[in-house]
Amino acid sequence: MGTAVTHAPATEAPARDSEPRHGPVKSPRPAALKRRGRRENLAGYLFMSPWIAGFLLLTAGPMIASLYFAFTDYNLFDAPRWVGLDNFSEMFADPRWRHSVQVTLWYVAVGTPIKLIAALGVALLLAQKRRGQAFYRAAFYAPSLIGASVSVAIVWKAIFSDDAIVDRTQKLFGVDVGGWTGDPDLIIYSLVALTVWQFGAPMVIFLAGLKQVPRELYEAADVDGAGRLRQFWNITLPVISPVLFFNVLLETIHSFQIFSSAYIVGGGAGGNACGPADGTMVYTCYLYVQGFENSRMGLASAMAWMLLVGVALVTAVLFWSQKRWVHYEEGGR
Amino acid sequence: MRQGENGETTEKRVGGRVGRRTVLKAAGASLAVAGLGATATACGGGSDSGDGTVTLRYSWWGAEDRAERINRTIALFEKKHPKIKIKTDFQPYTDFWKKFNTQASGGNPPDVFQNAIGFLRKYDAKNVLLDLSGQVEAGHLSMEGFRAGLEKFGEIDGKLLGVPVGSNSMALVIDKPVFARAGVTAEQGWTWDDFDEAMARIRDRAGRAGDSGMYGVMYLYDLYLRQNGKAFFTEDGLGFTEADLTRWWTKAEKGVRSGLFADPRKAAQIKPKSALSGELAGSEFTWDNFTVRYTSEGKSEYGLAPVPTTDGKKTGQYLGSLMLSASKRTRHPEEVARFIDFMVHDPEVAKIMGYDRGVPATQAQYDAYRPTDPVNKAIAAYEESLVDAGVLEPITPHPNGADICEAAFLRIAEELGLGKRSVADAVKQFFTESKTALAG
Repeated sequence: MGTAVTHAPATEAPARDSEPRHGPVKSPRPAALKRRGRRENLAGYLFMSPWIAGFLLLTAGPMIASLYFAFTDYNLFDAPRWVGLDNFSEMFADPRWRHSVQVTLWYVAVGTPIKLIAALGVALLLAQKRRGQAFYRAAFYAPSLIGASVSVAIVWKAIFSDDAIVDRTQKLFGVDVGGWTGDPDLIIYSLVALTVWQFGAPMVIFLAGLKQVPRELYEAADVDGAGRLRQFWNITLPVISPVLFFNVLLETIHSFQIFSSAYIVGGGAGGNACGPADGTMVYTCYLYVQGFENSRMGLASAMAWMLLVGVALVTAVLFWSQKRWVHYEEGGR
Repeated sequence: MRQGENGETTEKRVGGRVGRRTVLKAAGASLAVAGLGATATACGGGSDSGDGTVTLRYSWWGAEDRAERINRTIALFEKKHPKIKIKTDFQPYTDFWKKFNTQASGGNPPDVFQNAIGFLRKYDAKNVLLDLSGQVEAGHLSMEGFRAGLEKFGEIDGKLLGVPVGSNSMALVIDKPVFARAGVTAEQGWTWDDFDEAMARIRDRAGRAGDSGMYGVMYLYDLYLRQNGKAFFTEDGLGFTEADLTRWWTKAEKGVRSGLFADPRKAAQIKPKSALSGELAGSEFTWDNFTVRYTSEGKSEYGLAPVPTTDGKKTGQYLGSLMLSASKRTRHPEEVARFIDFMVHDPEVAKIMGYDRGVPATQAQYDAYRPTDPVNKAIAAYEESLVDAGVLEPITPHPNGADICEAAFLRIAEELGLGKRSVADAVKQFFTESKTALAG
């Protein structure tokens, strides 16, 4: 067969040449084009095949399986048993699940805006022409690159513990709370601080957006006597609102998916997986506990699909709201 | 593709494609074959390669210190059994069970692994554990010479599911200088009233909480219940009522508020270090062999005190034990049995392990290791005192789901201590969660 492959084009070509009855030979014939096109397609599919295989095996397959498991009682050992909507009704009745929803919503609602404000604020500073701008940009962006790692979470836990640097600094100001990570109400703030610290990625996007604001608008505003704040509200913010929307959307979805930092800052190994009194029990954390500690894969799958629905809903609301505050130029919308 | 438009071309083109496909297929097939071959070597062949050498996988939980000792015992075993190789794998306790669960459900559990009483029924119900009694009959594993009836410890419904490697018992591990400063002595037969008084004296005189938070220790609450004619578990459920637990946790709440027990906020932050070795408390109820760990963790000198009683006599105590269990799916039950036999009977192993996994389970190993350091000596003395006082009883059953109940008990007690739950709320939550766990 191997030889047939090499010979095939050679034998094909003369067969082709006899085919056309009119027109000059120089223009490429449709069949040849088709053949080339097909070859390119084949090459394309060949190059894509790792991705396609990966998608089918690692994404689509597990998703379909998980959708099925969501309606079963599955402990990994015995065959999954169909239970209909039982997992969902159990979920809604479970106070621990409701607590995890609360913690997650709180985290998203508080963490995301602060992070975006920090990102925009720093982006405004860095948009100006100053000496050493490149260094500052790199420095502010760096935490985004390493922030998601386990080691940073461990360091974070150490920073906010009893008698560590944050606690000691607080004591200088006469505030003694005995460390944040042991307090079920305070520990979540250390997670918010961790996510805000990683504002580099939205900051870079804001920077790109700020560069797009036409200078003339500011010049005109200067002539009209508008102050800096007024210029920000009436020019900068409306012009970059599509960028802002993009960042809000991305960061919100991202926040819903918080896991490793909550799991590690909250304790990781030990009796309590997610913080003292479930203080960092975010949604994915509880999902993990149900799946891997309690071996309830069916319930965990149901929770995962619930999360998907929840995030989709929030995203839909954001898209709906953009009509009111996102301005696209020239009738974009 | 318009087939039939031009027969010849199509055919040739198809021929070309088939060719390419065949090449790809061939490549894929050979990869697959290579893969299968590799798997075959890994599972079958590698385990019993040409010269008849067998490789066993052995997993256990613990830390570096134990790893070093275990590696030395394995080196010894491999020297004595050159045809058997041991591959080890270890994690901390909770991570161990997550990994084990995943491996076991995927049909790939380790051949032999460390086990504990709370997991026996669970994994028996899931058909994971090998009944070793066949190997005992075949003479590959001896169940003779165990101390204090320990040979029955891993037996469930007539099946031998685990072989004890060591025994330990609940105790009050104390910070000796702190107890001395407070002028507290604890003797066999002291009551819960004496204990409460001691806690208050430690708080007032040594300026430290008396205990690290006994209200969350399931095994201690079990002893307390046994002292009162009940038990934590029955064969398939809980052996106590909501009123019982309400009493236990009401006392706990008062203890935390009044500083008798360590501040749970601080205790949570020093994990995995204990509140005792972290100098937040003067004592802690735990297994007696933990004294070894706390001595390496903390700066103070640690000793052992007996468990308080209700009637001044009965402590409700029993011997607990770490076990070695085998996987039902192992291809080498005989070699596994020989390995377990070596681990529990060989005197050299006892000399290497010391009391790391409790006091050796067999008389031969017990005699082979005579502790010379104060900590291990104290453990030996403590266990002997239990035997002398005649307080040891048989263990109560641990049903399928016991491990989840224990985790819930610890967690909810902590929430109570942190003030996030009222006593009534905590009790209700625990009963709800246990019901689910024990039903599953």
